[in-house]
Amino acid sequence: MAEITITVNGEEKTASVPSETTLLKLLREELYLTGAKLGCDVGDCGACTVLVDGMAVNACLMLAGQAHGREVLTIEGLADSQKFHPLQKAFEDLGSLQCGFCGPGMILSAKYLIDTNPNPSVDDIKDALSGNLCRCTGYTKIIEGVVDACKEIAGASEQAA
Amino acid sequence: MKPFDFFQPETADAAVDALAAHSPNVRILAGGTDAVVDLKHVPESPGLVVDVSRLRELKGIELTDAGLRIGAAVTHTEIMQDALIKEHAPAMIDAAHTVGAVQTRNLGTLGGNLVTCVPSMDSGPTLMALEAEVTVVGPTGKRSMPLDEFFVGPRKTILEKDELLLEIVVPKSNLGKPASFIKFGLRKGQALALVNAASALWIEDGKLKDVRISLGAVAPVVIRASKAEAVLEGQPVTEKLIDEAAKIAVTEAKPIDDFRASKEYRNDLIEVGVRRTLKAAIDAASI
Repeated sequence: MAEITITVNGEEKTASVPSETTLLKLLREELYLTGAKLGCDVGDCGACTVLVDGMAVNACLMLAGQAHGREVLTIEGLADSQKFHPLQKAFEDLGSLQCGFCGPGMILSAKYLIDTNPNPSVDDIKDALSGNLCRCTGYTKIIEGVVDACKEIAGASEQAA
Repeated sequence: MKPFDFFQPETADAAVDALAAHSPNVRILAGGTDAVVDLKHVPESPGLVVDVSRLRELKGIELTDAGLRIGAAVTHTEIMQDALIKEHAPAMIDAAHTVGAVQTRNLGTLGGNLVTCVPSMDSGPTLMALEAEVTVVGPTGKRSMPLDEFFVGPRKTILEKDELLLEIVVPKSNLGKPASFIKFGLRKGQALALVNAASALWIEDGKLKDVRISLGAVAPVVIRASKAEAVLEGQPVTEKLIDEAAKIAVTEAKPIDDFRASKEYRNDLIEVGVRRTLKAAIDAASI
């Protein structure tokens, strides 16, 4: 068994799990955070994407023990209690999601992109989302959603300045 | 996954001790993008899993007396963002960018890519064209070798069960050497290479010097196209000569036929890849 302490969405959590537990299983089955999805389970589809220390990773490919002591952000921690994150708002406004299964991973990959490159080109967005598969939308509205969210975030930071 | 014990050593020596003590029922885990997938499918417990992803001795990119040293656990994303690599071996950035997708590059390590040793690895050709050396550490100490001696066969390296890949070094004499890498896949993201090609060369007094051409996914391991290199060596740059070298490189490869591409198609890609990387390296040398 491994004793794991991680900070998830700003809250410290501890769990005792077998060593062969993935971060995804820890999140979903021990901490009941089911936003990150179990899709392909081999790192191809991106449905399990979460941010670990700010980095987009496939939670299905990281052992819980490797996440020990680190900060994890899941889709449940993205909105504050009052308001959606601009990415969530843009995805909602534009209908960027249909079945929604890819959504949490898609949005967190997009957040990682915006955190590292606040003014991405469409090609940058495609590159950043190339590890997230969507079988409904054809991606066009997802890309538009990211573009809109970037504008919204840039506008908000201009206003703040 | 079958149950296993998990160990995160503090030092490379402690990792090697654990490997030696538990061999052969032990395996190394770094970024996990290949290893965790394997662990999900192994029929028997792997025994002990040793996580080396956070070992300080396996991290870091720095200039040393030997050249540009890259720790084996440096991730593809770290390579893409590193100023020293951008200055001294920028073709490595192009190669790192073709690995998997963002999430894979954030976890996956350079050393892991080499150790997994699939013929289609994206890191191998550029490093081979730059004549990189690797250092491994085991119970009796360290040993270094050129990268082409490290690769033994598909999914097989020279590493013993109780040895660990420590670092990769691009030799000082090849820092800043004009080089180029190209990957042909069925799409850009999350694709295995059909053919990988890399070229590195100097131009001195209008003539090609120390030409190195490497190919991936066209033989059991990443190879050098030494006959094509020899044709170019010491010659002035001409379109005709580049075409000839690209055709010769095809004869040095033994690509497979599979559901991704036919042997004939891969042969065409080798020719195109060698031609394009040679031209790009020549362009870089002429700036």
